[in-house]
Amino acid sequence: MNRRSSLAKWLVVLGVLHGVVACAGFFAPYDPTAQDRKSPYLPPMRVHLVDTQGHFHMRPFVYSPRLREGTFDQYEDDSMEPHPVTFFPSGASYRLLGFLPCRRHFFGADNARIYLLGTDAYGRDQFSRFLLGGQVSLLAGLLGAGLTLLIGLGIGAAAGYYGGWRDSLLMRLAELFLALPWLYLLFALRAFLPLAVSPLQAFFLVIAVIGIVGWARPARLVRGVVLSAKERDYVRAARGFGASPGYLLRHHILPETYSVLLTQAAILIPQYVLAEMTLSFLGLGVPEPVPTWGNLLASLQHYSVLVSYWWMYLPALLMVPFFLGYLGLASSLQAREEAYKIEGWSPGSLT
Amino acid sequence: MQPLLRTENLVKRYARKKLAGQREELLALDGVSFSICRGTTLAVVGESGSGKSTLAFCLACLERPTSGSIWLEDKDIVKLAEKQLRLVRPKIQLIFQDPANSLNPRWSVLEILSEPMILQNRANQNEIRQRTHTLLEKVGLSSEMGEKSPGELSGGQRQRLAIARALALEPELLILDEALSALDCSVQAQIANLLMELQSSLGMAYVFITHDLAMAAHLADEIAVMNHGRIVEQGPVERVLRQPQHETTLQLLAATPRLPRTTLPALEQ
Amino acid sequence: MRYLLRRLGHAIFLLIGVSILAFLFTTLAPGNYFDEMRLNPRIAPETVAALRAQYQLDRPLPLRYASWVNSVLHGEMGFSFAYNSPVAPLLLSRARNTLLLTVTATLLAWGIALPLGVWSADRLGRLPDAILSWGTAVLLVIPDLALALGLLVLAVRTGWFPTGGMTSVDFETLSPVNKFRDLALHMTLPVAALVLSALPLLIRHVRAAVADVLDAPFLLAAQGHGIPKHRLLYRYALPAAANPLISLFGFSIGALLSGSLLIEVVMSWPGIGPLLLEAILARDFYVVIGGVVFSTLFLVSGNFLADKLLYWTDPLIRTESSGG
Repeated sequence: MNRRSSLAKWLVVLGVLHGVVACAGFFAPYDPTAQDRKSPYLPPMRVHLVDTQGHFHMRPFVYSPRLREGTFDQYEDDSMEPHPVTFFPSGASYRLLGFLPCRRHFFGADNARIYLLGTDAYGRDQFSRFLLGGQVSLLAGLLGAGLTLLIGLGIGAAAGYYGGWRDSLLMRLAELFLALPWLYLLFALRAFLPLAVSPLQAFFLVIAVIGIVGWARPARLVRGVVLSAKERDYVRAARGFGASPGYLLRHHILPETYSVLLTQAAILIPQYVLAEMTLSFLGLGVPEPVPTWGNLLASLQHYSVLVSYWWMYLPALLMVPFFLGYLGLASSLQAREEAYKIEGWSPGSLT
Repeated sequence: MQPLLRTENLVKRYARKKLAGQREELLALDGVSFSICRGTTLAVVGESGSGKSTLAFCLACLERPTSGSIWLEDKDIVKLAEKQLRLVRPKIQLIFQDPANSLNPRWSVLEILSEPMILQNRANQNEIRQRTHTLLEKVGLSSEMGEKSPGELSGGQRQRLAIARALALEPELLILDEALSALDCSVQAQIANLLMELQSSLGMAYVFITHDLAMAAHLADEIAVMNHGRIVEQGPVERVLRQPQHETTLQLLAATPRLPRTTLPALEQ
Repeated sequence: MRYLLRRLGHAIFLLIGVSILAFLFTTLAPGNYFDEMRLNPRIAPETVAALRAQYQLDRPLPLRYASWVNSVLHGEMGFSFAYNSPVAPLLLSRARNTLLLTVTATLLAWGIALPLGVWSADRLGRLPDAILSWGTAVLLVIPDLALALGLLVLAVRTGWFPTGGMTSVDFETLSPVNKFRDLALHMTLPVAALVLSALPLLIRHVRAAVADVLDAPFLLAAQGHGIPKHRLLYRYALPAAANPLISLFGFSIGALLSGSLLIEVVMSWPGIGPLLLEAILARDFYVVIGGVVFSTLFLVSGNFLADKLLYWTDPLIRTESSGG
């Protein structure tokens, strides 16, 4: 398989997925914080083409749910009234990409609410929460990875270039950070920061914590590259022309690290998305009412939900394509680098 | 006549820490003194590990000697701070052994040649461009290769490029650290001839470091034999090769296949 | 031997360093938790005074650290404000449960990954290998959290396995055999979650390491001697791949410890995980530090074990160290 086309293919896949999430306000039919107290824990709605009388409809439609007689949480379809799925309806206002005020949504239902993934305890649309939660989780992963790579680049370059006691000190520090199981380190750092903060503060706190925890591995990789690049004769030649260390780093040495950093980014981003999910799931991350992929799954901690409302698990499956995209990206990048290091990685795991 | 460059008792020690915690010291240069006059060539010969490369780096100010002095005209450049050293650097340039390693494979020929001039703030864009064309001509390369990368050039072309780059700042002393050793035999002769032409047209002095005694004999005026960081024998080429005094010189002579001057014309293509 | 002593010293340095690092993190805490503690009605003022004296709680960091080290040497490891008891006994009982989970998962994961990896390396590029690669890719791509929750959902829907806790309510009344069965049943889900999350990575690396070795000329020669395939793979190839595999082993322990933290919480397994989470939410700092240091202890011990294994299997390291 042509390596370049493989890389391009994965970039396209990830681009589309992230594009949908970036425009989450448009693709989500409803405001994720809008509650519908009359319809808690609705199961996912089925989209039909043929109604109960056997008639074929041109437009796909859904049935509204109705509480079954004698129960308080069992629903059945009100098959009297088919509600057609509408496209590009006007709905709750939102800001496209964060700044453009809009009212158009991708789809909705005529005279009814369409809940593709069902609702949660407060009657909030899970599908909308999934899309907008993706914005938070993916952004946290991206920014966290960026922060880690920045720190790793700085420390790794300093250790590799200056050598000596600075190198020893920094690498010992890296060893300390690697001596802790990753999640324990994350928790330890999070533990001592304030717990009761606003969602925005929590978001940045999470990014800071995740970003700081993981610098050691990238730093070691960068250091290796810098150590070997430093010994090249063209670096010596540049010194012979009067180049400063800053010039050498900027023009000759650091460009060698870019491919390593890129591969690390593809590996770290999914790990960090998972880290944010884990923190939010356990209540240490971004709090309600802001949706994230973590607190989307948080209700599954309750036994009653597991037993009666198992469809609350479905968003977890929808996350898989994103992790798959990153796996593919990282694989093709690594194939280009042709190095298989046991620094170890796995998009969906805590390693 | 005052020599261009004079070294006085150069000593270079490397401290290395072994895994078990002991300190090991490597004495690379053990009191090296010599001088070189303008426009002449001094060959420094010795086996691997005799300290030749260390000497090259010290002379090119890429390493600081542990003790000793290097007099360039009236200044001891060992004592200079980096800021002042920067002004002196153009005068002494170094050509490395392996051009594959001494040229950044990601840069173009033009960028490689412009680098020294940009670093020394010599000229503006246009002048630099002009000068790169001149330099390419001087070393026998076509100015159309400006956009190529070193990977697209042959070994000989790369070394010519390295030489052109070293000439960019108009040096007075050129140090050639085994500059011919990585090249094919026929190419070696071409580059050697190029170097001789440049020396006579530009008046540079050469310190020619090599383990190849035959090449040294062909190119140099004076020869210094190194062993374990010391110069064990030094003098005009004819005398040292006809009447070797030191054991090391004898060993080197014995190991060289073709030395008699009568066979040397074969080198001149 | 000198090599092992050096590794031991290194391990101790890591433990001390991590504890200092953890203490440094406490300086991030806003406000004085000592004040919070004073406000806590559950803790008697006399206790507060005693703690203050013993742990130097309102003194600067180095003193606090020193008094904590002192309490470690006395077997206490600081004091838990929430449980009103020294930290060590709390941690020890939980640590045992975490170890039970993690060790079982490690053995099982490697027990599966080694044969599968070797088998896959042997049939490199052919259909069985491709199928396995796809299988591991599927597992790799499911986030750990989703995997654990998915197993829970499965357990609830099928009712085959208990969905939480370590033992049933009537555990004490069971016969020894049934006790073992009960424990095993409860362990199945968490161990499965851990193993499934670690397995794909292990299989891939074992496969890569063995595939590398299978290229070597000495194996070709052995094959030419007519040595049967099974012996070839396990007595010749695998030991040659020992070096990277043992490093992988040390690394996998860290991964499994992190994984167990999450899975213990999700599946209510009474290990260090839930204790740590509780302590964070309750601002019970000494428990947090204790938990972190304990987990490092496990990781460092595991790595030391790996170093020991390496020492025994790799003759190069033995000669290096004996030569000085």
